[in-house]
Amino acid sequence: MIKIKKLSKRYVNSQDALSNINFEIGKGEMAFVTGHSGAGKSTLLKLILALEKPSGGELIVNGLNLNKLSRREIPYHRRKIGAVFQDHQLLTDRTVFENVLLPLEISGFPIEDAKRRVRAALDKVGLLKKEKVFPPALSGGEQQRVGIARAVVNRPSIILADEPTGNLDPNLSEEVMKVFEQFKSVGVSILVASHDASLIKTLNYRVIHLDHGRMVNDAGTDNE
Amino acid sequence: MAEWLMMPVPTMNKARTSNRQNRASRRGSDVGTLQIHRKIALDSVKRLILSPLSSLMTIVVIAVSLLLPALLFGLNDNLQLILLEFQNSARITLFLDDSVSEPQGENVSKDLLTYNFIQSAAYVSKAEALEEFSLSSGLGEILRSFSHNPLPAAIIVTPTTLNSRDVNALAQRLETISEVDFMQLDSQWINRLSALSDLISIAGKLLAAIVITGLFFIIGNTIKHDIENRRQEIKVMKLVGGTDSYVARPFLYRGILFGVLGGSFAVFLHLIILMVFNGSLQELIQLYNSSFTLQGLGFFNSFSLIVSGALIGWFAAFLVSFRHIRGDNL
Repeated sequence: MIKIKKLSKRYVNSQDALSNINFEIGKGEMAFVTGHSGAGKSTLLKLILALEKPSGGELIVNGLNLNKLSRREIPYHRRKIGAVFQDHQLLTDRTVFENVLLPLEISGFPIEDAKRRVRAALDKVGLLKKEKVFPPALSGGEQQRVGIARAVVNRPSIILADEPTGNLDPNLSEEVMKVFEQFKSVGVSILVASHDASLIKTLNYRVIHLDHGRMVNDAGTDNE
Repeated sequence: MAEWLMMPVPTMNKARTSNRQNRASRRGSDVGTLQIHRKIALDSVKRLILSPLSSLMTIVVIAVSLLLPALLFGLNDNLQLILLEFQNSARITLFLDDSVSEPQGENVSKDLLTYNFIQSAAYVSKAEALEEFSLSSGLGEILRSFSHNPLPAAIIVTPTTLNSRDVNALAQRLETISEVDFMQLDSQWINRLSALSDLISIAGKLLAAIVITGLFFIIGNTIKHDIENRRQEIKVMKLVGGTDSYVARPFLYRGILFGVLGGSFAVFLHLIILMVFNGSLQELIQLYNSSFTLQGLGFFNSFSLIVSGALIGWFAAFLVSFRHIRGDNL
């Protein structure tokens, strides 16, 4: 699903944010990306989401070569990816329900069908009762979960999550991971950027470790 | 409830989806598009109501701008009507030499009917002229005290054409007839009015061009501010796969809405101005024994005004939003 070969990203007048990254994540596979802050975790996710263009190497997502992706194709590429952002990226003047509805609205879903899906997604993250609330009235953890509901509502083939458990207590973190695991079991590929070492340890998935933009370790179920 | 979560993901089959297939999948679900258009249109109305003062100011500026050329065009339309009413009275009066006898004069009059461009020629004898003059001026007593009738016989010619150059040429030709003492053309003031009307028409078009340019900047600038204020929203929409046209849509609706409301308000203002003006104009017109009334914009012109407002608004919003939304490298 995600195929990365010798991928590099360099910003103008700065060090390489990423260099020589090689890995592959298959259908229904779940992996963590770890590393200190500034190691390139977020850059990696941005590249996969086509928020940035790679400087070199090959990046193939859902069979699409992102190096050759045209401007007009980017939105359709993003619709197949559910992304959870560290800073949530919710619309403060829309309710929780409307926020989760947004991806379906954008891809032109029939409204009745869309409403059912939104409720199902909110139920998954335990926020069904807060559907009429506006995000600023929610706690950080709740906002994070709204972001997760929005990421999964479109039934994406890939889920990218940037510190999805950053604001959650251990119980909720486990819940969120269970949601991800359910998606994994139906064939969704999941890439989670996290520095929550204890969580990663308990879950025993593949771990890709980045340090200053380089891959220092790719340890996990595949390699063991 | 969550059964859909467990359904196989359709895009996952086989190893590769090519770029071409990705392009094709766009044409997919159009089912909810109409609902979304309606929702966005309603939303743009809601936003307008949420900031009533700034919206109102923009709308008034648009209305006044549209009103100015509309008034000029309106003025010109009315001038044209006046011209039409009086153009029938464009006529040439040929005063005959005193030596020409009555039968001779009538012959000349008949001959004139063979000329091009002459619809009718009416001979007015000296006696008839005197009678008519007495009736209309009330000076009959004085004239009667003269030993002989001082008024000349005349032939009143009505041309078939209203074209001023043709009428002039005809008048000049008629003046050369030997029996004619002198000629008088009644249509000079109509020519002047007609020229004035042409001038107003050009001024109106020029003003319209200036106003349209101005409106582009006014509406464009307003929309640009909206885009700046909604940067975060635009960003989020793009993150979850909103296309440029999806993101731009609310702004296009907003531009159209500004144009339609501005145009409607201009029509309303036009109506009020007309009512105020018509009242005082009626007194003046009665002095001229005319039944002339000022014509309003009418349905078609009102409609055109609103539609032009909408088009200007849409196009200004289109240019600005695509520039500022596409420029965003998301």
